[in-house]
Amino acid sequence: MANDREVLREIWDGKLPICFQLAQEEIMDIQQPDPFYVMVPRLSYFPLVIDKMKRHFLRYISQENADSEMWLDYNDQPLKWHYPIGFLYDLFCGNDPQLPWTLTVHFTKFPEDILLHCPNKDVVEAHYMSTVKEADVLKHRGQVMSTMQKKDHSQLWLGLQNDKFDQFWAINRRLMESHGDSEGFKYIPIRIYSDDGTCNQRLVSPKNNDGSRKTLQQMISELYPEKNDFNLRTHGIILPLDTPLQWLSEHMSYPDNFLHLCIY
Amino acid sequence: MADGKLAANNSNTQDVKVDQENKENDDAGKNEKVKIDILLKATGNAPIMKKKKWAVDAEKPIGWIMEFIKKYLKLEPEEKLFLYVNQTFAPSPDQIVRNLYECFGTDGKLVLHYCKSQAWG
Repeated sequence: MANDREVLREIWDGKLPICFQLAQEEIMDIQQPDPFYVMVPRLSYFPLVIDKMKRHFLRYISQENADSEMWLDYNDQPLKWHYPIGFLYDLFCGNDPQLPWTLTVHFTKFPEDILLHCPNKDVVEAHYMSTVKEADVLKHRGQVMSTMQKKDHSQLWLGLQNDKFDQFWAINRRLMESHGDSEGFKYIPIRIYSDDGTCNQRLVSPKNNDGSRKTLQQMISELYPEKNDFNLRTHGIILPLDTPLQWLSEHMSYPDNFLHLCIY
Repeated sequence: MADGKLAANNSNTQDVKVDQENKENDDAGKNEKVKIDILLKATGNAPIMKKKKWAVDAEKPIGWIMEFIKKYLKLEPEEKLFLYVNQTFAPSPDQIVRNLYECFGTDGKLVLHYCKSQAWG
Protein backbone atom coordinates (compact mmCIF):
# COMPACT_ATOMS: atom_id res chain seq x y z
CA MET A 1 0.00 0.00 0.00
CA ALA A 2 1.00 3.54 -0.66
CA ASN A 3 1.55 4.72 2.89
CA ASP A 4 3.93 7.64 2.59
CA ARG A 5 1.26 10.25 2.07
CA GLU A 6 3.71 13.16 2.18
CA VAL A 7 5.51 11.69 -0.83
CA LEU A 8 2.25 11.21 -2.73
CA ARG A 9 1.29 14.81 -1.98
CA GLU A 10 4.68 16.22 -3.05
CA ILE A 11 4.52 14.33 -6.34
CA TRP A 12 0.93 15.46 -6.91
CA ASP A 13 1.76 19.10 -6.24
CA GLY A 14 4.69 19.19 -8.69
CA LYS A 15 4.20 22.03 -11.19
CA LEU A 16 6.03 23.41 -14.21
CA PRO A 17 6.05 27.01 -15.48
CA ILE A 18 5.43 27.01 -19.22
CA CYS A 19 5.90 29.82 -21.72
CA PHE A 20 3.88 29.25 -24.90
CA GLN A 21 4.90 31.14 -28.05
CA LEU A 22 3.03 31.14 -31.32
CA ALA A 23 5.15 29.86 -34.24
CA GLN A 24 6.36 32.85 -36.28
CA GLU A 25 4.99 31.57 -39.59
CA GLU A 26 1.49 31.31 -38.07
CA ILE A 27 1.25 34.96 -37.08
CA MET A 28 -1.10 36.81 -39.43
CA ASP A 29 -1.59 39.93 -37.33
CA ILE A 30 0.57 43.06 -37.57
CA GLN A 31 0.91 42.97 -33.82
CA GLN A 32 3.09 40.25 -32.32
CA PRO A 33 1.18 38.17 -29.74
CA ASP A 34 2.47 38.21 -26.18
CA PRO A 35 3.77 34.85 -24.99
CA PHE A 36 1.34 33.00 -22.72
CA TYR A 37 2.64 31.95 -19.30
CA VAL A 38 1.00 29.31 -17.13
CA MET A 39 1.84 26.96 -14.24
CA VAL A 40 0.69 23.43 -15.02
CA PRO A 41 0.61 20.23 -12.93
CA ARG A 42 3.43 17.89 -13.89
CA LEU A 43 1.01 14.94 -13.67
CA SER A 44 -1.51 16.37 -16.14
CA TYR A 45 -1.71 16.19 -19.93
CA PHE A 46 -1.38 19.13 -22.32
CA PRO A 47 -4.92 18.90 -23.81
CA LEU A 48 -6.31 19.42 -20.28
CA VAL A 49 -4.47 22.69 -19.60
CA ILE A 50 -4.33 24.62 -22.88
CA ASP A 51 -7.87 25.95 -23.49
CA LYS A 52 -7.03 29.49 -22.34
CA MET A 53 -3.75 29.51 -24.21
CA LYS A 54 -5.50 28.46 -27.42
CA ARG A 55 -8.06 31.27 -27.08
CA HIS A 56 -5.22 33.74 -26.50
CA PHE A 57 -3.50 32.89 -29.79
CA LEU A 58 -6.55 32.26 -32.00
CA ARG A 59 -7.00 35.90 -32.99
CA TYR A 60 -3.44 36.16 -34.31
CA ILE A 61 -3.67 33.30 -36.80
CA SER A 62 -5.27 32.95 -40.20
CA GLN A 63 -8.97 32.22 -39.63
CA GLU A 64 -8.92 29.33 -42.07
CA ASN A 65 -6.66 27.49 -39.58
CA ALA A 66 -8.76 28.31 -36.51
CA ASP A 67 -10.47 24.89 -36.53
CA SER A 68 -7.41 22.81 -37.28
CA GLU A 69 -5.76 20.78 -34.57
CA MET A 70 -3.26 22.64 -32.42
CA TRP A 71 0.05 20.97 -31.54
CA LEU A 72 3.19 21.84 -29.60
CA ASP A 73 6.89 21.47 -30.07
CA TYR A 74 10.02 21.96 -28.01
CA ASN A 75 13.16 22.69 -30.06
CA ASP A 76 11.46 21.37 -33.22
CA GLN A 77 10.51 18.11 -31.51
CA PRO A 78 6.72 17.59 -31.51
CA LEU A 79 5.35 16.84 -28.02
CA LYS A 80 3.14 13.77 -27.63
CA TRP A 81 0.01 14.86 -25.78
CA HIS A 82 -0.62 11.35 -24.46
CA TYR A 83 2.50 11.50 -22.24
CA PRO A 84 2.25 13.31 -18.89
CA ILE A 85 3.65 16.86 -19.03
CA GLY A 86 6.24 16.32 -16.31
CA PHE A 87 7.56 13.24 -18.08
CA LEU A 88 7.96 15.17 -21.36
CA TYR A 89 9.94 17.84 -19.54
CA ASP A 90 12.20 15.24 -17.89
CA LEU A 91 12.75 13.56 -21.28
CA PHE A 92 13.67 16.72 -23.20
CA CYS A 93 15.08 19.01 -20.49
CA GLY A 94 16.08 16.66 -17.67
CA ASN A 95 19.80 17.20 -18.22
CA ASP A 96 19.54 20.84 -19.16
CA PRO A 97 16.84 22.52 -17.07
CA GLN A 98 15.09 25.40 -18.75
CA LEU A 99 12.49 27.34 -16.75
CA PRO A 100 10.05 28.51 -17.79
CA TRP A 101 9.83 25.76 -20.37
CA THR A 102 9.39 27.55 -23.69
CA LEU A 103 7.19 25.71 -26.17
CA THR A 104 6.05 26.64 -29.68
CA VAL A 105 2.38 26.50 -30.65
CA HIS A 106 1.31 25.41 -34.15
CA PHE A 107 -2.00 25.31 -36.00
CA THR A 108 -0.71 24.00 -39.34
CA LYS A 109 1.55 21.21 -40.64
CA PHE A 110 0.35 18.62 -38.10
CA PRO A 111 3.12 15.96 -37.90
CA GLU A 112 0.93 12.97 -38.78
CA ASP A 113 3.75 10.45 -38.58
CA ILE A 114 4.72 11.43 -35.01
CA LEU A 115 1.64 12.63 -33.13
CA LEU A 116 -1.71 10.98 -32.49
CA HIS A 117 -4.79 13.07 -33.15
CA CYS A 118 -6.61 14.48 -30.16
CA PRO A 119 -9.94 15.93 -31.32
CA ASN A 120 -11.30 16.31 -27.76
CA LYS A 121 -10.74 15.47 -24.10
CA ASP A 122 -12.69 12.20 -24.37
CA VAL A 123 -9.78 10.84 -26.37
CA VAL A 124 -7.41 11.74 -23.53
CA GLU A 125 -9.73 10.03 -21.04
CA ALA A 126 -9.94 6.87 -23.18
CA HIS A 127 -6.16 6.76 -23.49
CA TYR A 128 -5.75 7.34 -19.75
CA MET A 129 -8.25 4.65 -18.70
CA SER A 130 -6.72 2.14 -21.08
CA THR A 131 -3.26 2.73 -19.59
CA VAL A 132 -4.61 2.29 -16.04
CA LYS A 133 -6.21 -1.01 -17.17
CA GLU A 134 -2.94 -2.18 -18.68
CA ALA A 135 -1.14 -1.38 -15.42
CA ASP A 136 -3.77 -3.31 -13.46
CA VAL A 137 -3.33 -6.35 -15.72
CA LEU A 138 0.36 -6.31 -14.78
CA LYS A 139 -0.23 -5.71 -11.06
CA HIS A 140 -3.36 -7.74 -10.30
CA ARG A 141 -4.27 -9.57 -13.54
CA GLY A 142 -6.76 -6.77 -14.15
CA GLN A 143 -8.95 -7.78 -11.22
CA VAL A 144 -9.17 -4.41 -9.50
CA MET A 145 -10.25 -2.41 -12.54
CA SER A 146 -12.75 -5.07 -13.65
CA THR A 147 -14.45 -5.15 -10.25
CA MET A 148 -14.66 -1.35 -9.93
CA GLN A 149 -17.80 0.43 -10.94
CA LYS A 150 -18.06 2.91 -13.78
CA LYS A 151 -18.36 5.76 -11.30
CA ASP A 152 -15.05 4.75 -9.70
CA HIS A 153 -13.35 4.92 -13.10
CA SER A 154 -14.87 8.37 -13.63
CA GLN A 155 -13.73 9.51 -10.20
CA LEU A 156 -10.13 8.61 -11.03
CA TRP A 157 -10.26 10.60 -14.23
CA LEU A 158 -12.11 13.59 -12.73
CA GLY A 159 -9.70 13.66 -9.79
CA LEU A 160 -6.81 13.97 -12.21
CA GLN A 161 -8.56 16.38 -14.57
CA ASN A 162 -9.68 18.70 -11.76
CA ASP A 163 -6.48 18.40 -9.70
CA LYS A 164 -8.32 16.87 -6.70
CA PHE A 165 -5.83 14.78 -4.73
CA ASP A 166 -8.31 13.26 -2.23
CA GLN A 167 -10.88 12.41 -4.89
CA PHE A 168 -8.22 10.69 -6.99
CA TRP A 169 -6.50 8.78 -4.17
CA ALA A 170 -9.78 7.54 -2.65
CA ILE A 171 -9.95 5.26 -5.72
CA ASN A 172 -6.31 4.95 -6.70
CA ARG A 173 -5.37 3.44 -3.32
CA ARG A 174 -7.30 0.30 -4.31
CA LEU A 175 -5.09 -0.01 -7.39
CA MET A 176 -2.01 0.24 -5.15
CA GLU A 177 -2.93 -2.65 -2.84
CA SER A 178 -1.10 -5.96 -2.92
CA HIS A 179 -3.27 -9.05 -3.33
CA GLY A 180 -3.06 -12.55 -1.93
CA ASP A 181 -0.45 -13.49 0.63
CA SER A 182 2.36 -11.83 -1.30
CA GLU A 183 3.75 -8.45 -0.37
CA GLY A 184 3.74 -6.64 -3.66
CA PHE A 185 2.38 -6.62 -7.19
CA LYS A 186 2.62 -9.49 -9.65
CA TYR A 187 4.59 -7.25 -12.00
CA ILE A 188 5.61 -3.59 -11.83
CA PRO A 189 4.07 -1.37 -14.55
CA ILE A 190 7.16 0.43 -15.81
CA ARG A 191 8.35 2.11 -19.00
CA ILE A 192 11.96 3.13 -19.42
CA TYR A 193 12.80 5.77 -22.02
CA SER A 194 16.16 6.50 -23.60
CA ASP A 195 16.92 10.09 -24.57
CA ASP A 196 16.11 9.34 -28.22
CA GLY A 197 12.53 8.73 -27.02
CA THR A 198 12.52 4.95 -27.53
CA CYS A 199 10.54 3.14 -24.85
CA ASN A 200 11.28 -0.22 -23.27
CA GLN A 201 8.55 -2.06 -21.43
CA ARG A 202 9.40 -5.45 -19.95
CA LEU A 203 7.95 -7.81 -17.36
CA VAL A 204 9.56 -6.78 -14.08
CA SER A 205 8.83 -8.57 -10.82
CA PRO A 206 9.09 -6.59 -7.57
CA LYS A 207 11.06 -9.48 -6.08
CA ASN A 208 14.30 -11.26 -6.80
CA ASN A 209 14.36 -15.05 -7.16
CA ASP A 210 15.36 -15.39 -3.49
CA GLY A 211 12.27 -13.43 -2.41
CA SER A 212 14.13 -10.24 -1.47
CA ARG A 213 12.88 -6.86 -2.66
CA LYS A 214 14.23 -5.95 -6.09
CA THR A 215 15.90 -2.56 -6.37
CA LEU A 216 16.27 -0.22 -9.35
CA GLN A 217 19.94 -1.17 -9.64
CA GLN A 218 19.08 -4.88 -9.83
CA MET A 219 16.37 -4.29 -12.42
CA ILE A 220 18.66 -2.24 -14.68
CA SER A 221 21.47 -4.80 -14.54
CA GLU A 222 18.95 -7.45 -15.64
CA LEU A 223 17.43 -5.38 -18.46
CA TYR A 224 20.56 -3.54 -19.60
CA PRO A 225 23.53 -5.78 -18.69
CA GLU A 226 25.87 -3.52 -20.69
CA LYS A 227 25.05 -0.38 -18.70
CA ASN A 228 27.31 0.38 -15.74
CA ASP A 229 27.10 4.11 -15.42
CA PHE A 230 23.61 5.54 -15.66
CA ASN A 231 21.03 7.74 -13.98
CA LEU A 232 17.27 7.33 -13.75
CA ARG A 233 15.04 10.36 -13.51
CA THR A 234 11.33 10.80 -12.86
CA HIS A 235 9.30 13.76 -11.52
CA GLY A 236 12.44 15.86 -11.89
CA ILE A 237 14.28 13.68 -9.37
CA ILE A 238 17.33 11.48 -9.88
CA LEU A 239 16.35 8.25 -8.14
CA PRO A 240 18.62 6.53 -5.60
CA LEU A 241 19.44 3.19 -7.19
CA ASP A 242 18.82 1.21 -4.02
CA THR A 243 15.11 2.19 -4.06
CA PRO A 244 12.89 -0.93 -3.95
CA LEU A 245 10.68 -1.21 -7.04
CA GLN A 246 7.54 -2.00 -5.08
CA TRP A 247 7.78 1.22 -3.03
CA LEU A 248 8.61 3.19 -6.15
CA SER A 249 5.59 1.81 -7.99
CA GLU A 250 3.22 2.62 -5.12
CA HIS A 251 4.50 6.15 -4.57
CA MET A 252 6.04 7.50 -7.75
CA SER A 253 3.87 6.11 -10.52
CA TYR A 254 2.08 8.67 -12.66
CA PRO A 255 -1.73 8.77 -12.34
CA ASP A 256 -1.86 6.25 -15.24
CA ASN A 257 -0.30 3.81 -12.71
CA PHE A 258 2.92 3.44 -14.71
CA LEU A 259 6.42 4.41 -13.65
CA HIS A 260 7.86 6.51 -16.48
CA LEU A 261 11.63 6.64 -16.04
CA CYS A 262 14.21 8.40 -18.20
CA ILE A 263 17.56 6.60 -18.37
CA TYR A 264 20.74 8.37 -19.42
CA MET B 1 -12.68 -9.99 -18.07
CA ALA B 2 -9.39 -10.81 -16.42
CA ASP B 3 -8.83 -14.21 -17.94
CA GLY B 4 -5.54 -13.31 -19.61
CA LYS B 5 -2.48 -15.14 -18.38
CA LEU B 6 0.75 -13.22 -18.32
CA ALA B 7 3.79 -14.87 -19.79
CA ALA B 8 5.52 -16.56 -16.92
CA ASN B 9 9.07 -15.99 -18.06
CA ASN B 10 10.92 -12.85 -17.17
CA SER B 11 13.43 -13.00 -19.98
CA ASN B 12 14.06 -10.31 -22.55
CA THR B 13 14.62 -11.68 -25.99
CA GLN B 14 15.42 -15.34 -25.85
CA ASP B 15 12.13 -16.54 -27.28
CA VAL B 16 11.86 -13.80 -29.89
CA LYS B 17 12.38 -15.30 -33.33
CA VAL B 18 15.51 -14.14 -35.05
CA ASP B 19 16.13 -14.52 -38.78
CA GLN B 20 18.40 -17.45 -39.62
CA GLU B 21 21.39 -15.42 -40.76
CA ASN B 22 21.45 -13.42 -37.56
CA LYS B 23 21.29 -16.32 -35.18
CA GLU B 24 24.84 -16.15 -33.86
CA ASN B 25 24.49 -12.51 -33.06
CA ASP B 26 21.99 -12.53 -30.23
CA ASP B 27 22.76 -9.26 -28.47
CA ALA B 28 19.58 -7.63 -29.79
CA GLY B 29 21.34 -5.20 -32.14
CA LYS B 30 19.11 -2.60 -33.77
CA ASN B 31 19.72 -3.85 -37.31
CA GLU B 32 18.52 -7.37 -36.71
CA LYS B 33 15.25 -8.23 -38.34
CA VAL B 34 13.51 -9.60 -35.31
CA LYS B 35 10.04 -10.90 -36.10
CA ILE B 36 7.23 -11.54 -33.67
CA ASP B 37 4.25 -13.81 -34.31
CA ILE B 38 0.92 -12.15 -33.79
CA LEU B 39 -2.51 -13.78 -33.86
CA LEU B 40 -5.39 -11.56 -34.99
CA LYS B 41 -8.83 -12.51 -33.69
CA ALA B 42 -12.06 -10.87 -34.73
CA THR B 43 -14.59 -9.98 -32.08
CA GLY B 44 -18.05 -8.43 -32.10
CA ASN B 45 -19.18 -7.41 -35.58
CA ALA B 46 -15.72 -7.43 -37.19
CA PRO B 47 -15.14 -9.58 -40.27
CA ILE B 48 -12.82 -12.57 -39.80
CA MET B 49 -9.42 -12.57 -41.49
CA LYS B 50 -8.64 -15.67 -43.58
CA LYS B 51 -5.02 -15.59 -42.45
CA LYS B 52 -4.86 -14.93 -38.74
CA LYS B 53 -1.22 -15.54 -37.89
CA TRP B 54 1.39 -13.06 -39.07
CA ALA B 55 5.06 -12.48 -38.38
CA VAL B 56 5.73 -8.77 -37.96
CA ASP B 57 8.81 -6.66 -37.38
CA ALA B 58 9.24 -6.32 -33.61
CA GLU B 59 9.83 -2.57 -33.86
CA LYS B 60 6.56 -1.82 -35.71
CA PRO B 61 4.04 0.31 -33.83
CA ILE B 62 0.52 -0.94 -33.09
CA GLY B 63 -0.87 1.82 -35.33
CA TRP B 64 0.84 0.13 -38.28
CA ILE B 65 -0.93 -3.16 -37.47
CA MET B 66 -4.26 -1.35 -37.24
CA GLU B 67 -3.72 0.16 -40.70
CA PHE B 68 -2.72 -3.27 -41.99
CA ILE B 69 -5.95 -4.87 -40.70
CA LYS B 70 -8.05 -2.06 -42.13
CA LYS B 71 -6.45 -2.54 -45.54
CA TYR B 72 -6.76 -6.33 -45.38
CA LEU B 73 -10.46 -6.08 -44.49
CA LYS B 74 -10.93 -3.32 -47.08
CA LEU B 75 -12.49 -0.97 -44.55
CA GLU B 76 -13.22 2.61 -45.55
CA PRO B 77 -10.65 5.12 -44.24
CA GLU B 78 -13.24 6.69 -41.91
CA GLU B 79 -14.34 3.34 -40.44
CA LYS B 80 -13.03 2.75 -36.96
CA LEU B 81 -11.03 -0.19 -35.76
CA PHE B 82 -10.23 -1.01 -32.14
CA LEU B 83 -7.45 -3.32 -31.05
CA TYR B 84 -7.18 -4.98 -27.66
CA VAL B 85 -4.58 -6.89 -25.67
CA ASN B 86 -5.72 -9.56 -23.19
CA GLN B 87 -9.30 -8.58 -24.10
CA THR B 88 -8.79 -5.79 -21.59
CA PHE B 89 -7.02 -2.68 -22.79
CA ALA B 90 -6.42 -0.81 -26.04
CA PRO B 91 -2.67 -0.21 -26.49
CA SER B 92 -1.53 3.20 -27.69
CA PRO B 93 -1.00 3.27 -31.49
CA ASP B 94 2.63 4.31 -30.94
CA GLN B 95 3.41 1.37 -28.62
CA ILE B 96 5.76 -1.04 -30.38
CA VAL B 97 4.90 -4.72 -30.86
CA ARG B 98 7.99 -5.92 -28.98
CA ASN B 99 7.00 -4.18 -25.74
CA LEU B 100 3.55 -5.78 -25.80
CA TYR B 101 4.92 -9.19 -26.72
CA GLU B 102 7.45 -9.07 -23.88
CA CYS B 103 4.75 -8.27 -21.32
CA PHE B 104 1.63 -9.96 -22.66
CA GLY B 105 2.81 -12.63 -25.11
CA THR B 106 1.72 -16.23 -24.48
CA ASP B 107 3.02 -19.44 -26.08
CA GLY B 108 5.43 -17.55 -28.30
CA LYS B 109 2.90 -15.17 -29.80
CA LEU B 110 0.96 -12.01 -29.10
CA VAL B 111 -2.82 -12.33 -29.37
CA LEU B 112 -4.67 -9.20 -30.49
CA HIS B 113 -8.44 -8.88 -30.70
CA TYR B 114 -9.89 -6.40 -33.16
CA CYS B 115 -13.37 -5.04 -33.58
CA LYS B 116 -15.22 -2.18 -35.24
CA SER B 117 -16.81 -0.80 -32.11
CA GLN B 118 -15.46 -0.35 -28.61
CA ALA B 119 -15.51 -3.76 -26.92
CA TRP B 120 -13.69 -3.47 -23.62
CA GLY B 121 -13.99 0.19 -22.80
